Amino acid sequence: MKKLFDLRFVIGLFFSVVGILLLLYHFLVNTTQPENHKINLYSGMVYLLFGVVMIVLSYKNKLS
Amino acid sequence: MQLVFIDYAVIAIYFLFVVTIGYVLKKKIKTGNDFLMSNKSIPLWITSLAFISANLGAQEVLGMAANGAKYGLYTVHFYWLGAALAMIFLGVFMMPFYYGSKARSVPEYLALRYDEKTRGFNAFSFAAMTIFSSGVSLYALAMLMNVILGWNFDFSILMAAGIVLVYTYLGGLTSAVYNEVLQFFLIVLGIAPLVYLGLDKAGGIDGILQNVDNAKLHMWKGMGSAETNPMGVDAFSLVFGLGFVLAFGYWCTDFLVVQRAMISKNLNEAQRTPIIASIPKILMPAIVILPGIIILALQKTSVGFDLPVNAGGETDYNMVLPTLLSKLYPSGILGVGITALIASFMSGMAGNVTAFNTVFTFDIYQAYIKKEASEKHYLMVGKATTVVGILLSIITAYVARGYNSIMDLLQLVFGFVNAPLFATFLLGMFWKRTTANGAFYGLLSGTVGAALTHGLTTAEGKGGWIMNLHTYYSGTSHAFNIAWIAFVICFIVTVLVSLITKPKPENSLVGLVYSLTPKQTDQEKVWYKNPLMLGIIVLVVTLILNIIFY
Repeated sequence: MKKLFDLRFVIGLFFSVVGILLLLYHFLVNTTQPENHKINLYSGMVYLLFGVVMIVLSYKNKLS
Repeated sequence: MQLVFIDYAVIAIYFLFVVTIGYVLKKKIKTGNDFLMSNKSIPLWITSLAFISANLGAQEVLGMAANGAKYGLYTVHFYWLGAALAMIFLGVFMMPFYYGSKARSVPEYLALRYDEKTRGFNAFSFAAMTIFSSGVSLYALAMLMNVILGWNFDFSILMAAGIVLVYTYLGGLTSAVYNEVLQFFLIVLGIAPLVYLGLDKAGGIDGILQNVDNAKLHMWKGMGSAETNPMGVDAFSLVFGLGFVLAFGYWCTDFLVVQRAMISKNLNEAQRTPIIASIPKILMPAIVILPGIIILALQKTSVGFDLPVNAGGETDYNMVLPTLLSKLYPSGILGVGITALIASFMSGMAGNVTAFNTVFTFDIYQAYIKKEASEKHYLMVGKATTVVGILLSIITAYVARGYNSIMDLLQLVFGFVNAPLFATFLLGMFWKRTTANGAFYGLLSGTVGAALTHGLTTAEGKGGWIMNLHTYYSGTSHAFNIAWIAFVICFIVTVLVSLITKPKPENSLVGLVYSLTPKQTDQEKVWYKNPLMLGIIVLVVTLILNIIFY
């Protein structure tokens, strides 16, 4: 609960969740549009990476 | 545009996070100061990102893509000429007086430097403007949800207003600021894939260069005359009107953004807030303007990318970004893109509401209605004002339902209210002889002058409600010219009235006027902690960008 006061953790959690969601969607659900069909994969990976970095940062040092 | 389950899931997760932030922060709110000023305890990286995010509302995200399609690369003047310089000036020169004077708001600074009537004038006009902006954000959001998702207009208004109400009511300014930072990342990361897909489809930079009219791919070419560039402005009104008067008037005196710096932990961080914010700010055109230019190239290379038209058959530039979202994004990332748009509207709205409630509580309620009361009382007033502010925004949203170009309208209001204001601050901070009466009558005549100029000149069929003495090439040019005229009138009247009225005693102006304030002796030597050094670096980068995209 205390971690929720740290904005980096909150932002990290948000993008991790959204990233995982996009990755799941890419792998599990067949998208009907053939064009741009990899954008969910790429964006999902970037969001997840960004999210994890923010969470790691929130544990590294106490900025806020 | 058809959303599927995953898109709705992303939107729902976002709403959940936004409300949770407000709920968690509620525990930190005990006094009016916590609620309205975040107890001056917010870290630098958060204040910096909130500083630009508070401005990243509807007019920015939709309006700048619209301007990108309309005026091409010339639109970046709003960033590389306007914002950058003004933000650095605020940090280096003006923040010491805002933060150092212990004023809690911009109008309160005016009360300390001048008198109550100048503060009252500014407080009331600012309160009206924030409600107006907040209402416009809300209106734009509801229209967008209505047009692209088929949601009911009334439902969209109530939903968006309801969520903003919950998180600003619970967590106050801190909650708005925390959400603004989340919104900032969401807008950047949610629209960046669109720029990537659009560029890819248009054939990269080469595709843009080949397919977009060359006249729209410059910043300065053809600026000698209003007839020879797509923006329809001349270099003088651009540099003086936008670059100096409008940009400085907005970034240096608008409490909505200045407030984000004023809640820093100390003066050094308050000074660095706008300067650090200017770094992502000068990169923002890649996210907000480039899509407008991409659609111009896609028109030539692909089918189905015609400029959107409204029900009346006119080109609706504000729909450029939503059109690109619907054409380029598949389900999944589409949910993120839509959420990014919703986030921009909410951040625009919440920013205005939190600035409104601070100014109302400190500069109207505490100044004129109830001077001495407990902290608990002002907390209650702040919370009640939040509710009232949102109700007024809803009413404004319904009123706004009849205007076409959001950007032009908003700039008109800036012209009347903000443009003369910068003269008042400039003279107040750097000329100790400026008197309270000088400031007040200068401000008044500047605002009246702006309205008169609008009444006497026209552009794109607007203005000229008294008679038409001159016609400008574009609405944008009209706004720039009104701004500088208002500034000059305010400046001259302030100086003249000051010379014939009695100034305040010098000892009451320490900390408020440049020449009477002791210079900071403990200047940070490390470059990244020194506001001036940082500012110079950003300026050099901005200058190089101006040259590259000449």
